Amino acid sequence: MTATADRISSTGRRPLGNRIYKFLRSIPTWALWFIVILWTIPTFSLFVNSLRTRDAQRNSGFWSAFADNANGYHFPTLDNYREVLFPDTGAGLWNALLNSASIAIVATIIPIAIAAFAAYAFAWIDFRGREWLFIGTVALLAVPTQVSLIPLLSAYTNGVAWTLPIVHRTITIFPDLNLSGSIPAVWLTHTGFALPFAIFLLHNYIASLPKDLFESAAIDGANHFTVFWRLVLPLSVPVLAAFAIFQFLWTWNDYLIALTMIGGNRGALPATIVVASIAGEFGAREHLLTAGAFVITVVPLIVFFALQRFFVTGITAGSVKG
Amino acid sequence: MGRLGVTIVGIVAAVGLSALVFIGINKLFDLTEKWYAVFTTVVGALLAAGVFGVLWGNRMIVTPVAVTLIAAVLGGAIGFGMGVMARPMLRLAVGIGGGAALGVLLGVMARSSTWPSIDPVAAVVGLVIGAGVGALVWFLARIGGRRAPVAPKLLSGAAVGWLFGAWLAAGSGGTQAETVIVSVVLGGLIGASIGVRPVSTTLTRAQTASGSRKYIFIGPALLFVVATLVIPLVRTIWLGFQTGAPRELRWTGLTNYSDIFTDPTIIDTSNWTAIFGSRLTWIAAVLILIGLGIGLWLGRSGGTGLGTGFATSAGTLTLLAGGVMLLGFSVFVSIRGTIANNLWWIWAVIIFSVALGLAVAVLADRSRGENIAKAMIFLPMAISFVGASIIWRLMYVARPPRNPQTGVFNAIWVQIGVLSNSDTASVLLSMMFFLAILALLYLAWRAWNAGTYSIVAGSLALMVPFIWLIYRFLGPGLGGFTTSAAGDVVADPVLFIQEAPWNNFWMMVVLIWIQTGFAMVIFSAAIKAVPEELIEAARIDGATESQAFWRVTIPQILPTIGVVVTTLIVTVLKVFDIPKVMTNGNFDTQVLANEMWERAFTQLNFGLGSAVAVVLFVAVLPVMYINIRRMQRERLG
Repeated sequence: MTATADRISSTGRRPLGNRIYKFLRSIPTWALWFIVILWTIPTFSLFVNSLRTRDAQRNSGFWSAFADNANGYHFPTLDNYREVLFPDTGAGLWNALLNSASIAIVATIIPIAIAAFAAYAFAWIDFRGREWLFIGTVALLAVPTQVSLIPLLSAYTNGVAWTLPIVHRTITIFPDLNLSGSIPAVWLTHTGFALPFAIFLLHNYIASLPKDLFESAAIDGANHFTVFWRLVLPLSVPVLAAFAIFQFLWTWNDYLIALTMIGGNRGALPATIVVASIAGEFGAREHLLTAGAFVITVVPLIVFFALQRFFVTGITAGSVKG
Repeated sequence: MGRLGVTIVGIVAAVGLSALVFIGINKLFDLTEKWYAVFTTVVGALLAAGVFGVLWGNRMIVTPVAVTLIAAVLGGAIGFGMGVMARPMLRLAVGIGGGAALGVLLGVMARSSTWPSIDPVAAVVGLVIGAGVGALVWFLARIGGRRAPVAPKLLSGAAVGWLFGAWLAAGSGGTQAETVIVSVVLGGLIGASIGVRPVSTTLTRAQTASGSRKYIFIGPALLFVVATLVIPLVRTIWLGFQTGAPRELRWTGLTNYSDIFTDPTIIDTSNWTAIFGSRLTWIAAVLILIGLGIGLWLGRSGGTGLGTGFATSAGTLTLLAGGVMLLGFSVFVSIRGTIANNLWWIWAVIIFSVALGLAVAVLADRSRGENIAKAMIFLPMAISFVGASIIWRLMYVARPPRNPQTGVFNAIWVQIGVLSNSDTASVLLSMMFFLAILALLYLAWRAWNAGTYSIVAGSLALMVPFIWLIYRFLGPGLGGFTTSAAGDVVADPVLFIQEAPWNNFWMMVVLIWIQTGFAMVIFSAAIKAVPEELIEAARIDGATESQAFWRVTIPQILPTIGVVVTTLIVTVLKVFDIPKVMTNGNFDTQVLANEMWERAFTQLNFGLGSAVAVVLFVAVLPVMYINIRRMQRERLG
């Protein structure tokens, strides 16, 4: 590409002009690391600020953290974390974190199980209308969550009743279990919303398993459940893990569904909503925002760094063919 | 620790129960081959209990728990009989007897509010019509080639007809005797339709076992998808035509939609002429013209032409993309409102995420520290929108002018203001910029000699901002300061979150920060999937690095760009958390998703909220269509 530059530099003579030229041509590489640093500063600054006292946070930026001790502030300190997790009065972020865990774990495992069964059926059980049912299900991927919120909330609150036409009798289809404001309502909602993507992702993988496998199993007299349980599940661990991570992050980070379905029931709120409500106060507890935001961020970050490979597989498998 | 225990128990219970139901049903159907009587007993018990459970849910029976249990026992008995008995008359007798017994149970235990006053004519007519429909179904199945006895269809049709004619269509306020008659006949008919079936053979048992799997495997998924997505979608569309308080909705036709599209806070085009007066428009026009000019000239001179006389290269494309982007910005700062904001979000997030994601994927490809660089850029993907919004609020925070700025952006901005008010600093900086311009000129000259015109274009384009910086530093000054009436220079931080309309863009930056990683990961995978031989062949044919990239790699990953763009459109359209946490829609930053939430759940206007949701849904329809087409192609090919 840079025939002249390379030839001259390979002789060992490095005139100034060539060095400048080399440097300028390497700008793109520098640009990469510039972007990387730019992308890291926000998270890093949050972390640093979460370890600083209230007054330090108010009076100087995160970059002066190491001057804090000289300026009479204590750095680093875990006081913000203690105060936000276990406050002296009222329920702290700890309870909300437990709620988040409860929501995220159940709303990860149940959709995986349901979707794995369905994905297997779409891939390996032959029945009429299979193609259209599959495309119809997966097409719902793009439907915005907002479209379902109002009917779902009223179903959780009042149940679902349907008045038959002609005979004018009302039949209760879904009983009034008073689910709104409770964690099970969030489980059910997340499960439904997760399925199109889960089925899509798992189906792509399960359908690509070798056909011989299923034929020889069928010859051995194994039924679909046995094949699924003994063969498909063990073989699909990578994609199951990929989806599990994706779904866990999605449900842990969710704000909209929990806000809608749990709403005013403070005891059941997940951590995202509790932290966002501190942000909404604009007041005395603003210094706790850094610690709170870092607490809700640290769980996804651990998952991300520990299982990054699966996470990337999951995202790319959903988008790039092959 | 009590809370922790409760949480764990809840998780285990929910997961365990679901697993139990799921595996249990599969194991149940595994029984058909060796333990058929057990299978039929359990199915009978579950079906009977299910029917009575539904009645319980509808508050139609008294003392529900005991009644449901007795029904389960009776149903199990019928099932057991069907499983072990072979003689047709005996089977029929058990079916009718058991069904009638269940009928008696139902009739006796039905709440008085459900007692029907039978209209004999309607009941008999219903019965006959039902039987006729059953026979018709049988006949159609026979034409379709399925051989089956007619009696079961006939009897179950009659049962449904009877249910409609004698109970659902009847008036209320009857006697208990009438209720018992209705339910006994109903139970007897259903029982007969079961008992009249011949005893199952090994073949039919195997068919039951294997034929049931598709329903078991797909059933739960379909149930959830239909219950949480399909039915709510239909209902939301219907609610969009309603108005009033949640419990007293009434039909208003398209009023909600006309309200939406005439509301100046949702779409306000009154200021559209400002587009032409805006500096952005003119800069955009110049950029596009220069980009087109360079591209055409490069193409004509045979540099990196695409065969159309136009050359794509990093330089021309940057200029064109920058121009188009600015043009969009100039439109969206003039046309305001919720919908315009949403379009602006889509515009900005897609252009920046795709461009930055692609740039990082290309730059990081096979460079040193590739994995670290990619991980750091990808990291925000794992952070919640709430967390990201809080992180960026701290980046944007504006302290009072007298105080030190603690937000990164304002600290830099105010510091620039300080520098540009110091003569020494501004002269020094201008000299540095001048050196940079000289270096870029030199780079352009070298690249010109080497024949890599894209670098020429790129470095010439990069010179423009430096020239502008010199002008600002030596001329009117730059950065966050104002000069007070007394002549003092006072810091003037930017209220990033409050100043409309640009606060919208500062919020989009949050999503760009998150989604660039997503775009990068996918582009990176796609670039690595481009066959090495293709690029090698291009190199052998004498293509430069950038030619190989623009003419081999980019066309290969074009479909992937499409995927990223469609995925981003859906993500951006739904954006809710960021505006909710950062401004809650104040300061002119409302978006559709938040508008919907406000209308529906704060103002409790379900009709208008639903209409806004439908607007969102209609906006993703093209994406759905593209996705479906793509899937069809992939399933066929």
